[in-house]
Amino acid sequence: MIEYYTFKHRGYSLEYRDEIFLRLVPSITVAIFNGNKLESAPKSQSLLFSEILSSEEGRKNLNDLNDIFEDCLDDKSEYLILRVINNGIESIRRGDVCAKIVSKGQISLLPNGFYGLSPEDRIICATENFFDNITDEGILADALVADSCNEWMNMMIRRISDLTQLKCGNLSAVTLKLVK
Amino acid sequence: MYDFSLLPDDSLLALFIALVLFSVAFVSFSIVAVFTLVKSTVYSKIHKDKLHLICDVAYFHEKGKRDNQEDSLYISPMGEAEDNGFIAACSDGMGGLLNGEVVSKYVTDSLTENYPYKFDAQDENSKMISDISDRVYEEYHLSAGATLVMVHIYDEYMNFYSLGDSNIILIRNNRATLLNYKQNYITLMIKKFSEGGIDTTDAYKDTRARGLIDFVGNLNCNVLKTSRPIRLFENDIIIVSSDGVTDAVPLNRIVNHIHFDQNATGIARAIKYGVKARKNPRQDNYSAVVIKMKRSYV
Repeated sequence: MIEYYTFKHRGYSLEYRDEIFLRLVPSITVAIFNGNKLESAPKSQSLLFSEILSSEEGRKNLNDLNDIFEDCLDDKSEYLILRVINNGIESIRRGDVCAKIVSKGQISLLPNGFYGLSPEDRIICATENFFDNITDEGILADALVADSCNEWMNMMIRRISDLTQLKCGNLSAVTLKLVK
Repeated sequence: MYDFSLLPDDSLLALFIALVLFSVAFVSFSIVAVFTLVKSTVYSKIHKDKLHLICDVAYFHEKGKRDNQEDSLYISPMGEAEDNGFIAACSDGMGGLLNGEVVSKYVTDSLTENYPYKFDAQDENSKMISDISDRVYEEYHLSAGATLVMVHIYDEYMNFYSLGDSNIILIRNNRATLLNYKQNYITLMIKKFSEGGIDTTDAYKDTRARGLIDFVGNLNCNVLKTSRPIRLFENDIIIVSSDGVTDAVPLNRIVNHIHFDQNATGIARAIKYGVKARKNPRQDNYSAVVIKMKRSYV
């Protein structure tokens, strides 16, 4: 089982150019698409991204899936895909969308490939714009204080709000934790 | 100039021997000192992870323009830090309510009475804080209150507890981060605004929104606590302070006041003078415990 909470905010941008994708079967897949660097048609790119993930192609292993995205999507598209496998998580990313893991009282960048998880670990996946407005120590403290993914996200939004009053560009993030 | 030719030969010989002996002693001392320094530096580098992380602690406790000192500090016995960990707490009597100084003193006195605390018993420790709050409620029925921030450091890990809007600040890599969020109405408003997809400017404009939703003196309060500890590193600086400090020196400017090679005393002094230099005619009381994490052979 996995607990998650998503946050999408348009901010002061004219449109929401990101996309958050979730799929629960056959395995839990979480993906974030960042279209902020695209010069044209960001919406069509994010739709294409979601379509591929929801289709049969989306069931392929992450390396094959990455090849498909590299063929189909604009070079400036950025994305992160996480897939929960047994007691671990497999991830692949392109660009500045990334995931950070809180484990044993420390925070670090989730590397590409497979990473074993313990029930106390917490993961935050977000776009560059989200991470730019919050420190790693802030993410860490909130993760260790919050009881749920929802609470953790709200605490981080409070921090971003203290800096920007949420007047920044698009914000997209997902918080995750394994539940026994 | 001295005319040594007037001295007898024996005296000259004695002077010469004394000079030679002094030179030998000086050179020997220098060699031993340099050798020890090099050896200890090399040892420190090789065995860095095996050296203990210890707390270098200093504090200041200053009265602003208020009539009473409503801040109160608690620092656990340093001699027992190895067995029970180190605890620092700051309680700030709530402005606008009566007996702020009595309540904040009661909070820190209660912390002293309950010492020692188990490091991994976060629920038990937060229950103890909640019980203190309930006792204050029974005495004053919301007519008096205080905030509380407390850190418990054991070895390389730290738990923290918070009620209200005082500060636990971590300075790492030249960046200051407030670890505990402020339990006020702004937090609730931001949650609502962000759910509605709108900006949060209005939440900060309303001064009434700074009112606390939880504090010592509230019944069945919700103590903010870490469920698992934060890992600390060498040169981390932790500041446990009342809001009088951050009202005068905002979080993003605190690092401008300190140098990272300073010890805890130097950092505490720099922050204290930073607040004083503001010369705010309505300066709140300002108190803080400054902890710098250092490696040590001991």
